[in-house]
Amino acid sequence: MAALEIAEPEKLDDAYTMLGTEEGSIRPMGGGTALMLMMKAQLFKPSKLVSLRKIEALTGFSLSVDASHIRIGAMTTFSELEQSPMIAQHLPVVTQTMKTLANVRVRNVATVGGNLAHGDPHLDLPPVWSALGASVRIVGVDGERVVPAEELFLGYYETVLAQGELIADISVPVRPGWRFFYAKVTTRAEHDWPALGLCVGVRAEGEVIADVSLVLSAAVDKPTRLKSAEAALRGVALSDAALAMAADAALAEVHIEGDGRGSAAYKQQLLRVHLGRAIKHVMQGSASA
Amino acid sequence: MSTSRTIQFTLNGRPATADIAANETIVDMLTNRFELRGARESCGQGLCGCCTVTVDGMAVSGCLSLAWFLDGKSVETVEALSKGGVLDPVQEAFIEAGAFQCGFCTPGFIMMVRQLLDAHPDPDEDEVRHYLTGNLCRCSAYPEIMDAVKLAAAKRKRASAA
Ligand SMILES: Cc1cc2nc3c(=O)[nH]c(=O)nc-3n(C[C@H](O)[C@H](O)[C@H](O)COP(=O)(O)OP(=O)(O)OC[C@H]3O[C@@H](n4cnc5c(N)ncnc54)[C@H](O)[C@@H]3O)c2cc1C
Ligand code: FES
Ligand code: FES
Repeated sequence: MAALEIAEPEKLDDAYTMLGTEEGSIRPMGGGTALMLMMKAQLFKPSKLVSLRKIEALTGFSLSVDASHIRIGAMTTFSELEQSPMIAQHLPVVTQTMKTLANVRVRNVATVGGNLAHGDPHLDLPPVWSALGASVRIVGVDGERVVPAEELFLGYYETVLAQGELIADISVPVRPGWRFFYAKVTTRAEHDWPALGLCVGVRAEGEVIADVSLVLSAAVDKPTRLKSAEAALRGVALSDAALAMAADAALAEVHIEGDGRGSAAYKQQLLRVHLGRAIKHVMQGSASA
Repeated sequence: MSTSRTIQFTLNGRPATADIAANETIVDMLTNRFELRGARESCGQGLCGCCTVTVDGMAVSGCLSLAWFLDGKSVETVEALSKGGVLDPVQEAFIEAGAFQCGFCTPGFIMMVRQLLDAHPDPDEDEVRHYLTGNLCRCSAYPEIMDAVKLAAAKRKRASAA
C-alpha cells in the first residue's frame, strides 16, 4: 500500500474543509473495508483519508417517537444493526440480510454510509434500503439534501455524491402491514457476492397483492426498481400466471448483465424463478402472520 | 495529520507503544514490530480469517484494519490465550479433536470460536456456521473443527461450573 495521510476530524465542518471539493485522491473513510481492498490491490492510492469515526453527528440509530421512521447514522456498523432487537422488530429484512452478508469481522467494522457511498451494484443492502423506501441525507459545505436511496446510484460504482459531500444518515420508514424479503442468489458459496439480489416487499390483503415493492441488484449496473413488474402485480390475486406476467415485465424493463457469477441468459432465468419464489414467500408469511 | 505517528494501546494485557506508518495494517505491525506471528496474512482480503485479532473485544481482520486506529484500544491476539503454560479450553479442544493439519488457519479459528462461545455458550450448528463462515481452512479440517467447537463448549461449561 502506498504512503498516505490520515486525518480524524471531530466536526463535520472540519471534514468538509479537509475533503475539499476537487475530485482527487482525498477520500472519507467509514469502516474502511472497501477502501482497504482497493488500496491493497493498488486500484486506488489516496493521498489522504479523512476518517469519519470521531464525528458524533454520524453515529447512532433510533426509532422516531411516533414509531414511523428509523434514523440510522452513516457510521452505524452492520453488527450494531444485526444485534439490535429494535431493528429485528421493525425491519426484520435487515436482520435477515445480515445473516449472509460477508462475515462477523467485516460486519463489525463496515458502515451503513460506506456501504451506500461505495456504489457497488453487488452489495446486499442498497436494494433493501431502496425497496423499503429509505431516504439518504447528504451533507456538505453548501448545506444538505435528501435523496431517495434508489436515486443515490447513477451506475456502476457511481453515485450522486460530489467530492466533499458525506452521507450523514438514512431514514427508513416503518411500514406496518408490509413484509419484506431479500433474496440473495449466489452461485458459488452462500456468502459469496450475489449473481442476483432481489428485495421484495408486499402488502397483502388476503390472496391479493394490494401493494408491492421490487428492487433488483447485482445483475444490473445499479439497484433498479422493477416498476413494470410492480404495476403488473399491484391489485392482483397471487397466481402462477400473475407471477409469470410480472417476470416478463421485469425482463422487458431492465438490461441484465452477465459476469463471472452467471451469464446474462442465466441471470434472466434466475430473475424469473426467484421473483416468483420471493413473492410467494412473503405472501405465505403474511397469510400466517 | 501526517503519514506516521506513535500509538499507545494495550497489547495482550500490557501497555504497548509503536511508531507506525499510516498505511500499516495491524498484522504488519504485530509481525514486524512485536514479533507476534499468530495473526498472519493469507488472503489479505478479509475472507479467510487467518489474521483475526480482537480490538476492544471485537473480532476484526488484521489485514484490513489500519494500526493507526488502535490508539487507546485494547488488542488481543492468540498469543494471549495460554496463561502460565496452561492452554485456553478452545486451544485444548483443537488439539484433542485434531482440528488442523498444517495449522496455518488455527489461530484465526481459535479467536473466532472464542467469540462464538462468548455470545453462544451452547451454540447450535447454525450459530457455529454463522460465526465461522469467514474462516477458511485450506487443509479442510472442517469436520474436526466442528468437533472441536463442541468439545470447547463442553470444556468451558465444565470450567465455569467448577
Ligand atoms: C471479505 C469481504 C466480504 C464481503 N462480503 C459482502 C457481502 O457478502 N455482501 C455485501 O453486501 N458486501 C460485502 N462486502 C462489502 C462490504 O459490505 C463493504 O466493503 C462495506 O459495506 C463498505 O463499508 P465501509 O464502511 O467499510 O466503507 P469504506 O471502505 O470506509 O468506504 C467505502 C466508500 O464510501 C466512501 N464513504 C465512506 N463513508 C462515507 C460517508 N459517510 N459519506 C460519503 N462517502 C463515504 C469512501 O470514501 C469509499 O469511497 C464484503 C467485504 C469484504 C471485505
Ligand atoms: S488474511 Fe485477513 S482475512 Fe484472510
Ligand atoms: S489446518 Fe491447514 S489451513 Fe487449516
